[in-house]
Amino acid sequence: MTFFAKFCIPFIVGVVVLFAVIAIKYLSWLRNLPKKDWKLIFSNIISWRTVAAAWEVVCESLLHRRIFKVNPRLGYMHMSLAFGWFLLIAVGWIETVAYMGFKWVPLQGHVFFKYFVPLNGITEHKPLFDFVMDLLLLFVLSGVGLAWFKRLRSRALGMKKTTKHVLFDRIALSALWFIFPLRLVAESITAAIYGGGSFLTGGIGILLSKSIGVEALSYTYEPAWWLYSTALGVFFIAMPFSRYMHIFTEIPLIFLRHYQLRPESKEKSYDNFELEACSRCGICIDPCQLQSQLGINDVQSVYFLRDRRYNMLQQKIANNCLMCGRCEQVCPVGINLNTLRLNSRSSMRNIPNEGRYNYLRNVDTSSGEGKVGYFAGCMTLLTPNTLRSMRQIFEAAHEQVWWADKEGGACCGRPLMLSGEVDSARKMIEHNKSLFVKHQIKTLVTSCPICLKVFREEYKLEGIEVLHHSEYILRLIQKGRLKINYQRGATFTYHDPCELGRGSGIYDEPRAVIKAVGELLEPAHNRKEAFCCGSSVANTAINDAQQLTIAGKVATELSETRAKTIVTACPLCKKAITRGTETQVVDLSEIVAQNLKQ
Amino acid sequence: MINFGFAINKPRAIDIDRNNLRKSNEIISEMPELQACIGCGSCTASCTAGNLTEFNFRKVHTLVRRGEYQGAYEEMNKCMLCGKCRLVCPRGINTRGIVMLIKRKLGDF
Amino acid sequence: MKHVIVIGGGIAGMQCASELLRQGVAVTIIEKEQDLGGKIRNWHKLFPTFTPADEVLTAVRHKLKISSNLKVRTGCQATSITAKKVTLSTGEELKCDAAVIATGFTLFDAKIKEEYGYGIYDNVITSADLEQMFNEGNVRLAQGGTPRRVAILHCVGSRDEKVCQRHCSKVCCVTGVKQAIELKQLFPKADIFNFYMDIRMFGPGYEEMYREAQTAYNVHFVRGRISEVSPTFDNRLQIKAEDTLTGRPLKMGVDMLVLLIGMKANAHNTLLSKECQLQMQSSGFMQPKDSFLGNVTSNVGGVFYAGAVTAPKNVGESINEGTAAAHSVIEWLEKR
Repeated sequence: MTFFAKFCIPFIVGVVVLFAVIAIKYLSWLRNLPKKDWKLIFSNIISWRTVAAAWEVVCESLLHRRIFKVNPRLGYMHMSLAFGWFLLIAVGWIETVAYMGFKWVPLQGHVFFKYFVPLNGITEHKPLFDFVMDLLLLFVLSGVGLAWFKRLRSRALGMKKTTKHVLFDRIALSALWFIFPLRLVAESITAAIYGGGSFLTGGIGILLSKSIGVEALSYTYEPAWWLYSTALGVFFIAMPFSRYMHIFTEIPLIFLRHYQLRPESKEKSYDNFELEACSRCGICIDPCQLQSQLGINDVQSVYFLRDRRYNMLQQKIANNCLMCGRCEQVCPVGINLNTLRLNSRSSMRNIPNEGRYNYLRNVDTSSGEGKVGYFAGCMTLLTPNTLRSMRQIFEAAHEQVWWADKEGGACCGRPLMLSGEVDSARKMIEHNKSLFVKHQIKTLVTSCPICLKVFREEYKLEGIEVLHHSEYILRLIQKGRLKINYQRGATFTYHDPCELGRGSGIYDEPRAVIKAVGELLEPAHNRKEAFCCGSSVANTAINDAQQLTIAGKVATELSETRAKTIVTACPLCKKAITRGTETQVVDLSEIVAQNLKQ
Repeated sequence: MINFGFAINKPRAIDIDRNNLRKSNEIISEMPELQACIGCGSCTASCTAGNLTEFNFRKVHTLVRRGEYQGAYEEMNKCMLCGKCRLVCPRGINTRGIVMLIKRKLGDF
Repeated sequence: MKHVIVIGGGIAGMQCASELLRQGVAVTIIEKEQDLGGKIRNWHKLFPTFTPADEVLTAVRHKLKISSNLKVRTGCQATSITAKKVTLSTGEELKCDAAVIATGFTLFDAKIKEEYGYGIYDNVITSADLEQMFNEGNVRLAQGGTPRRVAILHCVGSRDEKVCQRHCSKVCCVTGVKQAIELKQLFPKADIFNFYMDIRMFGPGYEEMYREAQTAYNVHFVRGRISEVSPTFDNRLQIKAEDTLTGRPLKMGVDMLVLLIGMKANAHNTLLSKECQLQMQSSGFMQPKDSFLGNVTSNVGGVFYAGAVTAPKNVGESINEGTAAAHSVIEWLEKR
């Protein structure tokens, strides 16, 4: 039995390079994982998590379930390529076994089996396998066809913008586009000369032999297989350096993620798995408001990950992001886009400086006491209506409150973290934390979702419950400590602040509070899909006019609900949206305070 | 440094002829909106860090624009980047961006 | 007889109408309020001479003689304006030979600048509120009593991109100085602090009045914009600003804060620019045909402007524009 021909060389070289590069990459990434991550892997590897991960690999890497959810046409394209190719390989292997029995066959023997069949004197054909293999090839080709079509007209596949690619991507992409058409040609010619094949390769084979003749075709036989093998070889060599690295990388990523590994506020080796698992599908581009509302086309997550992967990330790209999380919400690979961008900023800007913010020592001017601590937040000091309303609410509920930053305390540290100065932010965190502990509060209420997120995620306040004022107010209502007059005919619409909704998962509480006061009308984009107001502290690149443009678009959508009042639960959102509309914009606490039953 | 037994006082005047305006020009060309400052002091008045220290954003960026860089980086390091100043600036200046830009140009990243 | 429609019955519109009547043209005034007079009805005294506003209004009214050639339509607005026809909000269409737009301006809503606490703290008032208090002879604190310390903040809703008002409203500076003097005349023992960014004394006698406020009345001028207002435990107002001339933050307690609210373009202007092809400036005020030779002329033939509909103006300028617009209308009618 021979399973070698000269045309196999490009394929063999490609496979060797591919697996060598992948092995080198994975080993070095794994070796550099911090000890903490290794501990997580060891403690989780023998558990149900491994099974769950394996199942997710099938659902995501092969079937692309999440892309289907976002965009069915795009999902079909990815699935036909991934799952179809996988089945071609798997069924091809079974086919070999069916013909040869359980014998060792080198890899190229499986891949180019159709070529080696006549060479090894096998004359018998198994129509079932021919049919299945043709069907699978057609399945894959339909995906390739869609991919071609998508390049020409991305809107046809439900995408307004599609990704711009780097050189390796273009090489790999071109090779990939030709692999299956070339396979079709090679197998059809083989069928024309030696018989076999089903409706597709067999059918084309008959057409070819009739129109060109078997003799003329025999000259194209070897070149066709050469081309097919070369396309495979080129693709495999380009693959680990291109976006197609995602095909393999998504698998270890899914396992590591099930073992609870996560990116953190500083870069680490695990990030590589997330970076290279990005397929650059470009689904993150359309939801980006910088793209759709400002026409900025080079900062979206797909480009950020690309630039970071190839070590060409610039500050102006890293800084130009609202970190609203709309892209993270739709990413089919579930990459932690915000955290990765944050730790990139940290690598670029974090300069540990021991002396920094030493002025925070001995500046505690806080006074008063109470079981509930109220941290208004810097921005809330500029929306005194919220402060007044919170005071009225606390009084109505007979709550003893310690006002943490009435005279202007230190910042919560989140804005500094968002700009990447993670170590310096710790100074503020420690300062504020020591105040909370000193005043022995049991509950910490804040009106600012930006503060809320950092209190919950970074402060590690043991024994202190952290609440956003929407949660706190709802709790007071539910416990009967606040009585509210329902206003018949009052209509409200609600803007989900990014840090509160997508950032902290608080969607229902503010809505429940609004419904206690009046009717709630939802805007076109809400909850997980809600727009960002544009004034996010995470973005230091866009200017005032650009912020205003976004605010205007968001405000327009909210006004279109025809609600009399726009409600939000973030001082920054309130300020931003007010700029874009004549409709009254208020904080959640205001509508509660105005309608308290005495 | 050699001690000559006397010291020359730093001149009080801002000497635009002697000051090297290269960095200042770089900063302004990257964010021209800084020139739109009308010196109203809203940023400094609302400043969270300025409430606790002598940090004065308006003064520091004005000095930087005049080519007086000494101490500017250290001063900007007092900023907490909370963003109140950006919210109050009547000229719509991206103040947080300016803080980061000045630190980048005068510091070491 | 030619017929001209004047939209807006403030001082500019009234002056324009009386000039047109004098030239033998029939005039219809469209006024959205129930009475003619416009904003000046709410002012107390006019800068820099402290002439009672009422005196000026009476004089302009007096000139506008009641005659069969004058019709006044109150309580309605113009929704479409051309040289031939004006459509009213009632749906009625009025034929004409020319139209003058003298719809003036809108006062900035100080509630939008939430950090200043208007509508939140009782003793934060606007300059318009203060004029009314002067008129009623009842300048006092919300809780009763006279103010011992008053802060007057310039540029509220002017030169502020955060509220989409880039332009300078021009008259607030001098109004602030005028009101400081008036307050000082009422309460000689009170301290008055004007917080300003630039003092723009553009008219004759204004600078002199500023100097008088400083020296004769001992009004304090602090260069810096107030950033925040908060209540104190004893029900006063705590204000924060930077004293930019010393480069240090400044805090003070005051009994009353007066916000010098700016002039905002009417929302109506957007409608005019959309429906009637009249050009509008980015500030929202209407665009005259030429800054030097066509200040009262619009880009549409037979449609003219008078007063603050094209830019913030003081009372004298508005009256002058009423006269100028009337002359331009006559010229236009003669050419027909």
